[in-house]
Amino acid sequence: MSIRAARTEVASRALLGEGVETLHPSSIDEMAETLAEATAKKRHTLIWGGGTHQGIGYRVDPDLVIFTDHLARVIDWEPDDLTVVVEGGVKIADLEALLATRGQTAVLPEDPGGGTVGGMMAAGVSGFRRARYGPTRDRILEVQAVTGDGRIVKGGGRVVKNVTGYDLPRVVVGSFGSLGVIVSCCLKLWPTPRSTATLTIEPGRLVDVHRPLAVLSDRSSTKIYLGGTEAEVGNQVTRLGGETQNELVWPAVPYRTWAFSLRVPPQTAAGLIAGMPADADFIHQVGIGEITIAAPSSDGMAMLRSKAEAVGGALIVTRAADDGFDPWGTPPPTLDLQRKLIAAFDPQRVINPGRLPGRI
Amino acid sequence: MYDELIAALDAERVLQTPLALHVYGRDAGVYRGQPAVVVLPETTAEVVRVVEIANRHEVPVVARGAGTGLAAGAVATEGGIVLVTTKMNRIEEIDPDNRTALVGPGVINLDLSKAAEPYALHFAPDPSSQAACTIGGNVANNSGGPHCLAEGSTVNHVLALEVVLADGSVAMVGSAAPDPIGLDLRGLLVGSEGTLAIVTKILVRLLPNPPDVRTLLCSFDSIADAAATVSGIIAAGIVPAALEMMDQAITRAVENWLHAGLPTDATAILLAEVVGDTAAVEAEAKVMAEVAHAHHARDVRMAADDSERALLWKGRKAAFGAVAQAAPNYYLHDTVVPRTRLVETMAKVYEIGARHELQMLNVFHAGDGNLHPLMVFDASVPGMTEKVQQAADELVAACVAVGGVLSGEHGIGREKRDLMPLMFSATDLDAQARIKETFDPHNRFNPGKVLPTGARCFDLGASVPPGAWV
Ligand SMILES: Cc1cc2nc3c(=O)[nH]c(=O)nc-3n(C[C@H](O)[C@H](O)[C@H](O)COP(=O)(O)OP(=O)(O)OC[C@H]3O[C@@H](n4cnc5c(N)ncnc54)[C@H](O)[C@@H]3O)c2cc1C
Repeated sequence: MSIRAARTEVASRALLGEGVETLHPSSIDEMAETLAEATAKKRHTLIWGGGTHQGIGYRVDPDLVIFTDHLARVIDWEPDDLTVVVEGGVKIADLEALLATRGQTAVLPEDPGGGTVGGMMAAGVSGFRRARYGPTRDRILEVQAVTGDGRIVKGGGRVVKNVTGYDLPRVVVGSFGSLGVIVSCCLKLWPTPRSTATLTIEPGRLVDVHRPLAVLSDRSSTKIYLGGTEAEVGNQVTRLGGETQNELVWPAVPYRTWAFSLRVPPQTAAGLIAGMPADADFIHQVGIGEITIAAPSSDGMAMLRSKAEAVGGALIVTRAADDGFDPWGTPPPTLDLQRKLIAAFDPQRVINPGRLPGRI
Repeated sequence: MYDELIAALDAERVLQTPLALHVYGRDAGVYRGQPAVVVLPETTAEVVRVVEIANRHEVPVVARGAGTGLAAGAVATEGGIVLVTTKMNRIEEIDPDNRTALVGPGVINLDLSKAAEPYALHFAPDPSSQAACTIGGNVANNSGGPHCLAEGSTVNHVLALEVVLADGSVAMVGSAAPDPIGLDLRGLLVGSEGTLAIVTKILVRLLPNPPDVRTLLCSFDSIADAAATVSGIIAAGIVPAALEMMDQAITRAVENWLHAGLPTDATAILLAEVVGDTAAVEAEAKVMAEVAHAHHARDVRMAADDSERALLWKGRKAAFGAVAQAAPNYYLHDTVVPRTRLVETMAKVYEIGARHELQMLNVFHAGDGNLHPLMVFDASVPGMTEKVQQAADELVAACVAVGGVLSGEHGIGREKRDLMPLMFSATDLDAQARIKETFDPHNRFNPGKVLPTGARCFDLGASVPPGAWV
């Protein structure tokens, strides 16, 4: 089978090393051909969206890098249905800008950099507003993925409620391509709130706030993000007090050579934060149990990880300066089942091989 | 096998009388099954033993909660053991700080919300059958309910599951922490209708009760106006907690049975509810009323207090019961269409009914585009059942034709299994069949459900374990 996908040199080529081929399929069929051939030749394949989450998981040494940047069309947007269908390579920032023209949002991460919709799904990341709208996995209605052996597989449907067949969209979220490259998906949309506000209060102050967009806390303050009708936001602002800005001012995610995501049951978060190395910066999503950490080294993180795992959570590396600290920690107990499931979609294990917990 | 089951459980919890096999041989839908034996385990260990015995004797295991399912999910259409979870009905823990509850699969949906009430918390999925159906059944079917419009279906509220797999091993998936590492198997298990694993424990999220609520009852002279109001409310940027439609036939049935104060002279009524901050619900209720008036509502009434609100909801949730006590047989359907296609789809529903000379009653989750056409008939009339089935298939096809799906909350089960190709290609179904065979290579759990036979249509060799189901 011949590959028609464009072969181009890319800036990141140097990073990838000599002998690594780069491809930019521009249609779903081309993606399928490319992967069928990768399976036939057993080529280790890295999928590249915006490159914003390539720091997660075990290192993949690819023979082939497939970029999704030529699969970046908005296929169908039905504002009145609050759904949109996009290709996997669409940039989050572009999509949100488009949706904003009709007062809608897909509630994707607030500071996406060059991240793509497909990459965000594959990495299983959610934005801060999950406190109100739920995590990304609750908002993917349909997915079309190309499996490691080049099959085009669709799951879900373009409606907001659906139990037809196994929930492929949900399990694809966070799968790092192991079940397939996300070539298109249908997302549930929400109207953007008419009125918004950011309140800053002392850290640790307990507040009773109804359905905030987010509550974020760091070493110096707690910020409450509100959205809704003018009266609703106004009432809450008056009741809660604190320094007020009449817009949503999202924090810059702290940048250091090491970055981590700590995920724990919400009520255990404060205790774990107390035991965090003093030189680490963090953003704690209060009520969610996700803590984004940036630190100059991985010192102290093994201890934090063991505490997190003891309460059913995890500490994962999202950016590493070296290979000295395991990126995932203890793999889940269902590893064997996960390995078999991946084999059903990627029998030669060509997409991101060994990247997931347990090196599967 | 019977002796082994008695040794594994005890004689009172292994049933083989004709009455038991009859009662547990059906659910609330139209299919009937032929179980060989019915077991009622009390613990995970007992479920494991039953699965091991089934494996030794190579017979199916069909999990069953309360049997209120409508798609024959819990019906042993291929015989074997019906495993009833109603004795696994302990609420093990309610944790108000973390807003979670750990429950057995046999806990009844409403019992959980009642137990959470003292903490001002509730379990969001509220199927109309909530007084009877089990949380295990809700998980297996990813059930919804009127209030799932804003809060989502069961899957959005399941944090972790303990399951017994087909080889008899026990697995834990998920936890109270967000975003588990590795594949999120919860997402596959929820909604898998007992075909991948038997759910033995469930950690669910509980939600705080909203501070305030407004419930509107809008009446219309035409279905089209009511449907257009639904689309209009969604398009106005409001996501109500619930947005339910009832047509005149169903409203009359309800009012004959219990007097909920629903207007019987309206062609269609909408029950719209918003929850949240007082200022927000007041503003949203006002906008909803304006949208309804713009679409020629003849009356818009706000529930004056909690008791009026409760009565309206009682009327809504009792709708199927009202029909069940009035008609010899009924067939309740469940499909979803994009909300912008509601008006034309409703017209089509009535057209199909008229063409087959069947009465169609409609009460449904309009805000989600989730239709529930209900056909009442007398199965003793020769040819009637076939006619109903024909009309039902046409209904589903009409919904899929406008971009809809086969089921929004009742599941595929046996009922819609053979309609799956309407939505999915052979490759899509093959992928689903591979998921099934990964979890359950010997097709032990609930065979003949969800996937049409022959779904495993082509075979690339490499990924097929020995003894694969084809
Ligand atoms: C009057 C009426 C109103 C209804 N209203 C709604 C509604 O508003 N929304 C809605 O979504 N549904 C509704 N339903 C459908 C039904 O009540 C739900 O699907 C319910 O969740 C089924 O629960 P159950 O305990 O009765 O399950 P069952 O009918 O016993 O089983 C349903 C499925 O779950 C599987 N199962 C059950 N327990 C387990 C377990 N522990 N592990 C693995 N698999 C298991 C069974 O094999 C079967 O496939 C309604 C039904 C009726 C009769």
